[in-house]
Amino acid sequence: MLYVQKKNEDLSRGAFDLTTQMLRMNPEFYTVWNYRRHIFIQGIFPNSSPAAINELLSEDLGLTAAFLKQHPKVYWIWNHRRWCLEQVPDGPLDEDKDGWRMANWNKELFLVEKMLDVDPRNFHAWNYRRYVLASIPVRRSQVSELSYTTRKIESNFSNFSAWHQRTKVLASLWQAGELNVAQSREDELDLVKNAMYTDPDDQSVWIYHRWLIGDGDDPLLLQREIASIQELLDEQPDSKWCMESIVYYKTLLLRRHLSTMDTSVQQSLVGECFDLLSKLQYVDSNRKQRYIELSDEIKNTFL
Amino acid sequence: MELDAVVLGTGLSESIVAAALSKAGYKIAHVDINPYYGGDEASLTLDELLQWAKERAESSVDSDSAYLSSQRERFTNISYTGSLPLQSRQYAVSLLPMLVPSAGPTIDSLIASGVSRYGGFKLLEKVALFDSPGVVKPVPGNKEDVFKNKQLSLLGKRRLMRFLMFAGGEFEDKPELQGSEQMPFTDFLKDKFSLKEEAVQAIAYALAFCALASDPTLPALERIRRYLRSSGRYGPSPFLVGHYGGAGEIAQGFCRTAAVAGATYVLGRQVSSIVTAPIAEKTTGKYTLNLEDLSEQLRCDLLISSPDHLPLDLQGDSSITTASTNCSFARCIAVIDRPVSFSTSESLEGSGGEDPASDMPIQDLSVDTALLVFSPSSIPIGSSTVAVNVLITGEGSMSAPRGRWILYITMPLLGDQSGGSHSPEELLRPYLDATLSLTRTSEHPESALPLVTLFYEQSPREGPENNSTEASLMLSTPPHSRYLPEVADSAARNAEVTFWRALEVLKSAGRLPGDKNSEEAVENFWPPLEYVNGEDDEW
Repeated sequence: MLYVQKKNEDLSRGAFDLTTQMLRMNPEFYTVWNYRRHIFIQGIFPNSSPAAINELLSEDLGLTAAFLKQHPKVYWIWNHRRWCLEQVPDGPLDEDKDGWRMANWNKELFLVEKMLDVDPRNFHAWNYRRYVLASIPVRRSQVSELSYTTRKIESNFSNFSAWHQRTKVLASLWQAGELNVAQSREDELDLVKNAMYTDPDDQSVWIYHRWLIGDGDDPLLLQREIASIQELLDEQPDSKWCMESIVYYKTLLLRRHLSTMDTSVQQSLVGECFDLLSKLQYVDSNRKQRYIELSDEIKNTFL
Repeated sequence: MELDAVVLGTGLSESIVAAALSKAGYKIAHVDINPYYGGDEASLTLDELLQWAKERAESSVDSDSAYLSSQRERFTNISYTGSLPLQSRQYAVSLLPMLVPSAGPTIDSLIASGVSRYGGFKLLEKVALFDSPGVVKPVPGNKEDVFKNKQLSLLGKRRLMRFLMFAGGEFEDKPELQGSEQMPFTDFLKDKFSLKEEAVQAIAYALAFCALASDPTLPALERIRRYLRSSGRYGPSPFLVGHYGGAGEIAQGFCRTAAVAGATYVLGRQVSSIVTAPIAEKTTGKYTLNLEDLSEQLRCDLLISSPDHLPLDLQGDSSITTASTNCSFARCIAVIDRPVSFSTSESLEGSGGEDPASDMPIQDLSVDTALLVFSPSSIPIGSSTVAVNVLITGEGSMSAPRGRWILYITMPLLGDQSGGSHSPEELLRPYLDATLSLTRTSEHPESALPLVTLFYEQSPREGPENNSTEASLMLSTPPHSRYLPEVADSAARNAEVTFWRALEVLKSAGRLPGDKNSEEAVENFWPPLEYVNGEDDEW
């Protein structure tokens, strides 16, 4: 029936209410979302005052907030919220054009924080949070966003989404020159080291560490971090991530700084990588073939 | 009145048994000499507490009951200072401070019996170790705490996490434990996990709640594992604190459930005599109880009692004896009007505001419902071998009016404190002062002064030593565990044991659950709950 109405360009209130009913049953029915927006733009908005439009959009935001509680990972709901927020008209007054928008965006930020309190690893919510922060008429400081991720990481650091948000925020702070890159990187390395020692099996921590090291331009930094991971490996000799990371950073060292290296140093780095990779074949036998391939690659490249 | 069983005393254990028997279909009466529920675990208002203390502090008067004289032997060296504050009836003071682990026999019984519908709980906010006046040390009890902790070295973190993983897992067959089960736990932590003193103290006294450094390893590990597995069920902390004073309120909840299932309640009446019928007379029931000022007699085949409630002549007869190995406690209850703050050395250093751009609010470190642990030798004039703990409960646990907090200080009289040459006030005053140092703020540089303090010593019940052949008379109250989070669970476990024994006795006396005419045996401690229409079916 809805399809027929859609085909007939039925833009009535009745059709609109029908979409609400349909979406209550199945919020993943994206055709219905599209139809609903179509009714808004073609049928309702042209005949409504800005205040009424704002009112209607607020209602839709309320409706989708209720949907999100039940279905926190449905793209179409998040998508519809974006659309609603972008449709919010100027007002309430000429001299306060952003008034409605600001109120809605602030509510939106609150909602996203609530969603992240319930599930701190909901990547939809994190992604959406970045969108909200970028769209909000009066920007919030990146530093406060950094401390938000700190709080989320402190409450559970096995949360790659939070670490990922941190990489985005830091990159922008570094680029804007708001933070001293070298000092800030040291602080981050210290933070991540605490996480590594607390739980060496946590993958997100190691990935963040790799992001901090980046291309490995600084051989001293690389060597220092290799030594520090080695210390952890000495305490926890079966740690897969320690071994793999040492191999990764030693290979990086070889790749980037081969020209400044003695042959003997090079030889011993390669040898150490081989040792670790053969241990890894045993410790992490599910990925045995991967370690064999890595060995071959190192052999072909550096010997 | 013809009954299957009479339960004497409304302590936690007795109340759980009464509810279980009643729900299983047995006809029971539950009697307490006190006008309130809970016995030695009652929750009292402040004026009731004062009255309670007075009755036990006064020298004996001839007309006193056997109950009161036995209470006077068990609650000694009572000293009370302060005058009754306003709103004294808005306090719910527990005679037995306790923490309920979020997983274990107490919670299981609360849920399975439906008592959880009556009572509320608050999650314990924090556990901290006393460091120095005004300062506490955080207790790293999970991965996030370890990660955030600024005092531990990196290696210390790794070792502590390795221990926590070990303690949370199936450690029984692990090589680290083999042959070390009875080793002092503190030595075990140092030897097998290379932990440093700071971490050892936190684990032994604030995670395992050891009373002494020499407490054995295996039970301590088992406790830690229970608590680790309790955390996350209702929130980050493994422990719950009962609303309205905890233990007494829970006991009362079980009594209410028993009454709903048909049990008869008689409070504030003394048992004046118990007549045991000769074995030959099978018809009228084995015991006949006469109650003071009550013409109706209670006749039953089974008596379950807490030892204090039994006339002396019957006490030699009981089948479960209270363990006399249990220790005495020095206790202090104090009411304060300024909050205790758990400030750590970093939070004090950091209060200058190192991150002005951050919009994080200045952290409020004051606690409403929390536990402070003093490891041995943590204060100069305190005990050098015994750990002391302080439970703080405030408005959040519905036990005090807004802006007031109750402190419960508990010291097991063991180790260097077992001699008993000092009064509870002498023993605990330094701990009270140290706790009060945590109320200092920049506005109030002086420690808060308590509005009310009560110090007393509590001895274990002197249970009869002989194991009598008389199975139809049972003592049910267990020794109070010296470990704060074990108090409730030991009562619940004991109640279940008593329940099954009671069933055997009743069966052999030919008594089957009343309204069930079938031979259907009682299969569970708690029968399945009836489905209650309500919040559960909202969809």
